[in-house]
Amino acid sequence: MKLLALFGTLLALALVLSLALGDSWIPPKDVLWALLGKGDELTRTVLWDIRLPRTLVGLAVGAGLGASGVVMQAFFRNPLASPGLLGVSSGGALGAVAALAFGGGALGLFLVPLASIAGAFLATGAVLLMARRGASPEHLLLGGVALNALFGAATSFLLAVSTASLQVTGQIIFWLMGGIENRTWEHAAMALPLILLACAWLLPLARAMNLLALGESGAQSLGVDVRRLRWELVALSTVLTALATAVGGIVGFVGLVVPHVVRLLAGPDHRRLLPLSMIGGAALVLLCDLPTRFFSVGLRLGVVTALVGGPFLLWLLRRRPC
Amino acid sequence: MLKATQLSVGSRLKPLDLQVGAGECVAVLGPNGAGKSTLLAALAGLLPFRGHVAWQGEDLARIPFLQRGRRLAWLGQESWAEFDFSVRDVVAQGRYAWGEDGRGVEEAMALLDLTHLAQRPVTQLSGGERRRVFLARALTTAAPIQLWDEPASSLDVRHGLEVYALAQRKAAQGSCLLVSLHDIRAAYRFSRVLVLEEGRIQGDGPPHEVLSADLIRRVFRVEATFTTSLVPELPVIRS
Repeated sequence: MKLLALFGTLLALALVLSLALGDSWIPPKDVLWALLGKGDELTRTVLWDIRLPRTLVGLAVGAGLGASGVVMQAFFRNPLASPGLLGVSSGGALGAVAALAFGGGALGLFLVPLASIAGAFLATGAVLLMARRGASPEHLLLGGVALNALFGAATSFLLAVSTASLQVTGQIIFWLMGGIENRTWEHAAMALPLILLACAWLLPLARAMNLLALGESGAQSLGVDVRRLRWELVALSTVLTALATAVGGIVGFVGLVVPHVVRLLAGPDHRRLLPLSMIGGAALVLLCDLPTRFFSVGLRLGVVTALVGGPFLLWLLRRRPC
Repeated sequence: MLKATQLSVGSRLKPLDLQVGAGECVAVLGPNGAGKSTLLAALAGLLPFRGHVAWQGEDLARIPFLQRGRRLAWLGQESWAEFDFSVRDVVAQGRYAWGEDGRGVEEAMALLDLTHLAQRPVTQLSGGERRRVFLARALTTAAPIQLWDEPASSLDVRHGLEVYALAQRKAAQGSCLLVSLHDIRAAYRFSRVLVLEEGRIQGDGPPHEVLSADLIRRVFRVEATFTTSLVPELPVIRS
């Protein structure tokens, strides 16, 4: 409970900072007034049209990646598994890069995330098709390696071809580093409701995930419908990753480091691990987004999450060896 | 209580019929690859199989998953752990099908000599200790049918004897147990032995009748000499 309060406070702080910080500082009091539809018009516009959608997208991306990481690790019974393992985010990357390479960046804000969703769901479809045939986790893992290689190669090819136009190359590289700047309500609407729904769906599965983490046959013998659970977990985690990638690009490390840190602090019980990783993931993405606002060139969200997450994980591992 | 009709699993288990009643405690013997684990897993409904399996007179296919967790407990041959759940957490998982009400958790830990390890992460236990944790989890289900795949394989002498004694007690209380093992001598502690070889039943009955020198030579390819020698027993009054 203490940890839940701590993480909740952290997220609340991240939300307030995310709304208050930017080109102009809006004091938290004015943030509240503007949210209630009061105060001066400029503040209201900045808040409602720019910072709130950006914050909500960050919330969705972080919660989605945190939850997806927990699920992947329980599913593969391996604390090193991460959301990108099954090839879903590289599928999303390929979709977005294809859209950008063919000039989609100039055709409005939604073509790229829509193309990314298409790519990610293509990968999701392939993964689910394998899972449906009753493939074992090892089988799925190898399938993910193949998909990652395939999508990665296609992405590299498009990137190489696009070097004819420096602007397009820049757009692609920026997208591949992840980021939630210039996000609108449409982006938020695309990701947030479905991510929240998938997270809500996951929470009651926590007890069964505890059993699954200690072996499939054992879990089934204790009363878990393992085939169904596996399918649900793969479906939910790929959908979460797909949506997060579509609106946030490739934001590395959140899905790996957040469940790890939470596990070191709260233990392996998924009843705590799942909600804390959702909250922690959201807080991490929002906090890591803050510095990118002041270094619009160079410091990208995916870069900051790795820069913060890597040393933090190393520090935790040093303090408390696994 | 447990009934299999023309049960088979690919080429690993040839079609066999088997019936184990309430209060019976059966030792399942056979060389590596004889089909012991396959038989137990199929009876537990953990493998796709041909034929029919019935628990307490009800066709397994008709029993919903959650119900299965209350009626049959299965201890697999491997007990590794990648995540550091505490011993008590793992033992309490046995109550999953009962809404994790925590009933019988402390008793099962005491029975398997785990009380002093309750807070220890399972990742930090020895192989034998971990084995006892998973056995305690199976006991906590309070399921009347218990299938244990080599429960004593990594246990020391005393804990091994205690597991066999525990199996006898569960049977005396009306449970039905199938316990696979490699120690032919330990099979004499059971009232019935089932000998498997290459997926077929080679012998089924009381150990003194089934375990002849001839059968042991044929199935296990060793020469057996029947002598009186050192047989460790648990003291009557436990310390």
